[in-house]
Amino acid sequence: MENREKQNVWKKVMAIRGMGQVITVTIGLIALWIVFGLLSPSFYSARNVGNLLRQVAPILIIGIGQSYVLITGNIDLSIGSVVGMSCMISATLMTKGMNPWAAMLLTILICIGVGVLNGLLVAQCKLPPFIATLGTMTVARGVAQIVNNNYNTDAIGEAAQGYRNLFYYGSTFGVYNTIWIAVILFLVFDFLLSKTRTGRHIYAVGSNIEASKLSGIDTDLITIKVYVVSGFCAGIVGLITSATAGMGTMDAGNMYEMYAVAASVIGGVSTLGGQGILIGTVVGAAIWGTLQNGLQFAGAPVAMRNIVIGIIVIISVLLDVIIRTGKPRKSKKSNHSNSVSGTSQGS
Amino acid sequence: MGDYIAELTHISKSFPGVKALDDVSFNVKAGEVMALLGENGAGKSTLVKVLSGVYTKDEGEIKLFGNPVEDLTPKKAQELGVAIIHQELNMCAHLSVAENIFLGREETHSGVLSNREMNQKAKVILNRLNMEIDPATIVGDLAISKQQMVEIAKALSTNAKILIMDEPTSALTSNEIEDLFKIIKKLKAEGCAIIYISHRLEELQYIVDRVTIMRDGKFITSMNFSDTDMAEIISNMVGHEIKEKFPRVPCSRGKKIFEVKNLNAGKMVRDVNFSLYEGEIVGIAGLMGAGRTETTRAIFGVDPKESGEIFLDGKQIDIKKPMDAIRAGIVLAPEDRKKDGLCVKLSVTENISLPNLDLLSNGIGVIDRKKEKAMTEKAVNDLQIKLPNADVDAATLSGGNQQKLVVAKWLARNSRVVIFDEPTRGIDVAAKVEIYNLMNELKMQGIGVLFVSSEMPEIMGISDRILVMCDGKITGELEIEEATQDIILQYATKFDSKFAQKEAV
Repeated sequence: MENREKQNVWKKVMAIRGMGQVITVTIGLIALWIVFGLLSPSFYSARNVGNLLRQVAPILIIGIGQSYVLITGNIDLSIGSVVGMSCMISATLMTKGMNPWAAMLLTILICIGVGVLNGLLVAQCKLPPFIATLGTMTVARGVAQIVNNNYNTDAIGEAAQGYRNLFYYGSTFGVYNTIWIAVILFLVFDFLLSKTRTGRHIYAVGSNIEASKLSGIDTDLITIKVYVVSGFCAGIVGLITSATAGMGTMDAGNMYEMYAVAASVIGGVSTLGGQGILIGTVVGAAIWGTLQNGLQFAGAPVAMRNIVIGIIVIISVLLDVIIRTGKPRKSKKSNHSNSVSGTSQGS
Repeated sequence: MGDYIAELTHISKSFPGVKALDDVSFNVKAGEVMALLGENGAGKSTLVKVLSGVYTKDEGEIKLFGNPVEDLTPKKAQELGVAIIHQELNMCAHLSVAENIFLGREETHSGVLSNREMNQKAKVILNRLNMEIDPATIVGDLAISKQQMVEIAKALSTNAKILIMDEPTSALTSNEIEDLFKIIKKLKAEGCAIIYISHRLEELQYIVDRVTIMRDGKFITSMNFSDTDMAEIISNMVGHEIKEKFPRVPCSRGKKIFEVKNLNAGKMVRDVNFSLYEGEIVGIAGLMGAGRTETTRAIFGVDPKESGEIFLDGKQIDIKKPMDAIRAGIVLAPEDRKKDGLCVKLSVTENISLPNLDLLSNGIGVIDRKKEKAMTEKAVNDLQIKLPNADVDAATLSGGNQQKLVVAKWLARNSRVVIFDEPTRGIDVAAKVEIYNLMNELKMQGIGVLFVSSEMPEIMGISDRILVMCDGKITGELEIEEATQDIILQYATKFDSKFAQKEAV
């Protein structure tokens, strides 16, 4: 009886769209853990596991935002710069004596504003998302530089200790707060995406925007919403960055937009829209973090790490393409053959 | 006038450069099937899009259930009971059947989607349509015809009182059409008004009560179906009478041009053998999914072949990719114009020159614009493609003109064999005749013409010889004199039986 229930749970999990690929990638992740463990035994030390997860957390958070945007068939290139902007604005406000919590709220609101702007440019002004967010990417980086007159900020000081603990240094139940933040954001956004109407509409827009419009979905609003999510997530990561460094750095978040795409795509989110689940992004981010951390442990220089990670991204997308085209589903022709084989069996 | 469930009066609608609807009036009663007829570009689709809120009218009045309605949006129209099944499939291929049916109207339980209930309700609707589809199936995995049925289910799930069907049968097999007609009759009995747009005039007699005919964006006439006949309908549609629906040009059969021997490619192309001669048109008949399209694709080198030999003018040729076929002089005008036939975002000129750039460019690959322009002008003139100028996007052309364009790009080079896959799907009567004339002209020039069609009258009306396919094999070959609809259908349904049956051929 119990066994049967277990089977049902397993069936249910496997019935979730895209779970197949997530499991494949998870096997890859476990393989990496084994390899790095063999290369350097201290890879498994409690300290390193904690550090690894704390490294993964920000990538996961921006990955969530990017996944939302990718599932609608768009892309957000601005998030790396928004991380930098959030880092610089929060730190500058704090060094100017603003209450850290007020500074945090204001920063997040500004980042959401960038999301709204991206959404409007793409949905209302019909700009190609690549171009629109390339523009806001440059603007946001400029803002990050201008807020403190083209200097990194001073230390955000004693008054912000609570803020720094919340976002980086503190732990709750023996787990770093940064990791908790990532876990909570994942749970919230995964729920929104998989269980709510808005989530369903996000997939619909990415799958066929015309059909969605004709079904009465406000597709512009959905587009704005996903950019707001990605702006918000980037804002949170910016806060983590300023809390970590204890100051604002202008080049914070550099290249993060690409890391976010990598985490999403490795985890099975399609850049063409309509496909992907957030648990995949979690695994994708974990692979990214494991490679960074593990290669560092194995003594590989930074340049080497970049090369390896780049290759892994290409291979995972390549595998995805091969798996997809190997299946008899993509083309219309094979659909015909499906229906026919059905008929011939019947007769 | 009280019993009109939808009434549109003096509707006008313009797009930049075109007046799509010019003072059109249209009405439909509860419990009747109204056929909306007209050539491509007559404004039928625009009219129903105005009624379903996709387009806003410029002028005129819309009354639904006797009440004037302003500012119609797709959502508002849906709430009022207007549902439209679009000509082009509008499904989210990544979502499940139930998810598509309830798209935009998802049921939730304190904010959480009630998937189980939606699946159950979807099942009920699908059962009502006698469809055995699991609501959890991903729509992209279904055959096109099944997807269409899902779209109908989606429309029904809104409790629509006015159901608009834009070319619902163009992708369906005859069995499925029969099912569709049963559904239409059932809905009619339940008091729904159905607006039915179709180019297949021969279907109308089974379901239609009244017809409204449009031409060039204008209302022409409206009459009871029982008071009219096909000739009157067609002459109203085209504005002049078409004398011969299937123009046939007698030609004596010449030497063998093309031969396919023992071709195998996947499950759908099994041991296919046939030849083409000068001065004849060979039609391939069969049910949907019989492997006809697959055969053309295998010949043309789109899909890989497992085995088989192809001879052109007596010489064996090796076709591994489409380029090999084109170089040898074998070209294919594919079935799905927008997907396989044209680059719709490129201009007419660019589409025509695309497969001919080898002829148009010099040694280092620079395109000769003058030659390109000349080639386009000749093709546009030869095929009488109607367009404002050759720089417009292919997407802006009507279906019939797009089809001509697909053909035009191949005729610019001297081909030996032209293969058409469903050349007249979704285009109007007059454009069909032009395509037939074109095929006849090729035949007279001694070019081998092979065409796939699901429309039996067309196959019988235009071919000199008919090949019938079923389940990936050629099950019959008929000279036109001996072909009847019954015999063709017999061969088309000759599936391999598990009972040891003797081959009748």
